[in-house]
Amino acid sequence: MLTKLLIICRYTFVEIYKSKVLINVFLVGLALLLICYVAYSFTYAVPERIALDVGLGMLSLSSVGLAIFFGVGLISKEIENRTIYMILSRPISRRIFFLGRILGMIGILILNISILSTLTILTYVVLGGVLNKLIFIAIIFSIIESIIILLIAVLFSLITNITLSTIYTIVIFISGHALTDTLTNRFATSNVFFNSLLKTGSYIFPNLSKLNLKDYVLYNQMLPIPTLAWMFSYGVLYSIFLIVIIVVIFDRKNLD
Amino acid sequence: MINFIEISKKFKTDFWSKSFYALNGVAFKVSEGEITGFLGANGAGKTTLIKILMGFIFATSGSIEFDEKLGKNRREIFSKIGLLPERPYFYPYLTGREFVYYLGSLNDVKKSDLEERLIYWSKRMGIVDALDRKLKTYSKGMLQRLGLITTIIHEPKLVILDEPLSGLDPIGRKELKDAIVEINKKGSTVFFSSHIVPDVEEICKNVVFLEKGKLLYNGPIDDIIEKNVKPSYIIKYFNGTEVVRVEVQNKDKEKLIQDLLVDSNNKILTVEKFKVSLEEIFYKIRT
Ligand SMILES: Nc1ncnc2c1ncn2[C@@H]1O[C@H](COP(=O)(O)OP(=O)(O)O)[C@@H](O)[C@H]1O
Ligand SMILES: [Mg+2]
Repeated sequence: MLTKLLIICRYTFVEIYKSKVLINVFLVGLALLLICYVAYSFTYAVPERIALDVGLGMLSLSSVGLAIFFGVGLISKEIENRTIYMILSRPISRRIFFLGRILGMIGILILNISILSTLTILTYVVLGGVLNKLIFIAIIFSIIESIIILLIAVLFSLITNITLSTIYTIVIFISGHALTDTLTNRFATSNVFFNSLLKTGSYIFPNLSKLNLKDYVLYNQMLPIPTLAWMFSYGVLYSIFLIVIIVVIFDRKNLD
Repeated sequence: MINFIEISKKFKTDFWSKSFYALNGVAFKVSEGEITGFLGANGAGKTTLIKILMGFIFATSGSIEFDEKLGKNRREIFSKIGLLPERPYFYPYLTGREFVYYLGSLNDVKKSDLEERLIYWSKRMGIVDALDRKLKTYSKGMLQRLGLITTIIHEPKLVILDEPLSGLDPIGRKELKDAIVEINKKGSTVFFSSHIVPDVEEICKNVVFLEKGKLLYNGPIDDIIEKNVKPSYIIKYFNGTEVVRVEVQNKDKEKLIQDLLVDSNNKILTVEKFKVSLEEIFYKIRT
């Protein structure tokens, strides 16, 4: 089983890799360097901090973008093109197929994030920044965030079409970041109805702001290990939760 | 080999429309070792039944039994099945060779076996020179041939082909039919769907005929033809000025020939048993 999982994973990776996705990485990297250069030459801001700010922001956004763009088609396009028939007619279960596709795509996300974070860190260091652990933890959290978004995109694509899946996933991404802000908003919490609605929402929707460490990184605040561990487990558990739901739906889905 | 037990499938085209039965109590067996043709007009429900067989979609009611020889669980059974779906799609960026290796490796075929079989079949199908080209450069006929190779690369006991001949030119059809016969001779049971009667008549021993989701006939082709053969003969002769064609009942045949031979101007050209094609028979059964 494991070998077959890896075969599907490998071909998924190659398929997406060959669709010239790395051009995206290249463009983002270029933009990053350009912004740093502009910031360095024309502002009095601290350039290395800008490099880190822009770099971390961009690597997170670009991999969330990739996750949505490829996620909505990762399984649904295979069904639409009927390539899935050529694979599921062999001794491969739907689960293994799904996990293989997801792992292959996660490989792409990790590749994307690795390249952009190397570039970010290099720029940061060259401009005089000092490395700390939290930068690396923030990068790992970005990976988890994009995996969650990927899974949400796949989940939607199993129950609706590609366009709607894209829109819904973007909405979840945005609200996932806004959730904490709204929960602390006086107006929203003063209304009992709103408050309970938001509370319920915060249990179901992914609370992505938990995974966003950029502010702490920028102001060089270290977070206590238990807090980090809790955030990390939250991300992992949420992903597992999504995987279980997808498997349940996918196993029962009519593939046509 | 496979036993379809009262399969029905209800579809709803959209939320408000009435649902309809694409398959209605379809029950038959596919016998081992033979080529069975699965005939039916477009929209008869052939692809739907094959999708149910493969577990891609679920029947509204009914069930499917696989022969114990194929295995006990899904994994064992499916490792002995080869499917060529209808209008298959191929990853455009892979080469022919990569594609066959990909699918073959999902069937646990050893690399050396894969290579050997790929060479044999690609030579046999005339696409050996194209193996290292990207699939996006393949013609429809080449893709269909490569599709057939991926279907049989693990030497399955049961080969299921959904409209393998559609969209091919006459030469392509002939070659693919020959290949199907060879696959069968090498020991695979073949179940293949088509909406073209002569194709099925040419290579199949058995036929399953589906019409609007209902089974109309299931059995040997010879039987259905025999039942529908008119007991009459066509005699063609030349009477000195023109060719004449007469149809006679079996009992009157001898007498007519004797009468004709009396006149020395007459030359008998042919005496043939009257044959009806499978196509005409199905046309008759339907109406
Ligand atoms: N997913 C579906 N939803 C609704 N109707 C469908 C679906 N799939 C097939 N049908 C209908 O079921 C009937 C049988 O289709 P199909 O099995 O593809 O026929 P065939 O393969 O014999 O040409 C057709 O009327 C087709 O429109
Ligand atoms: Mg069909």
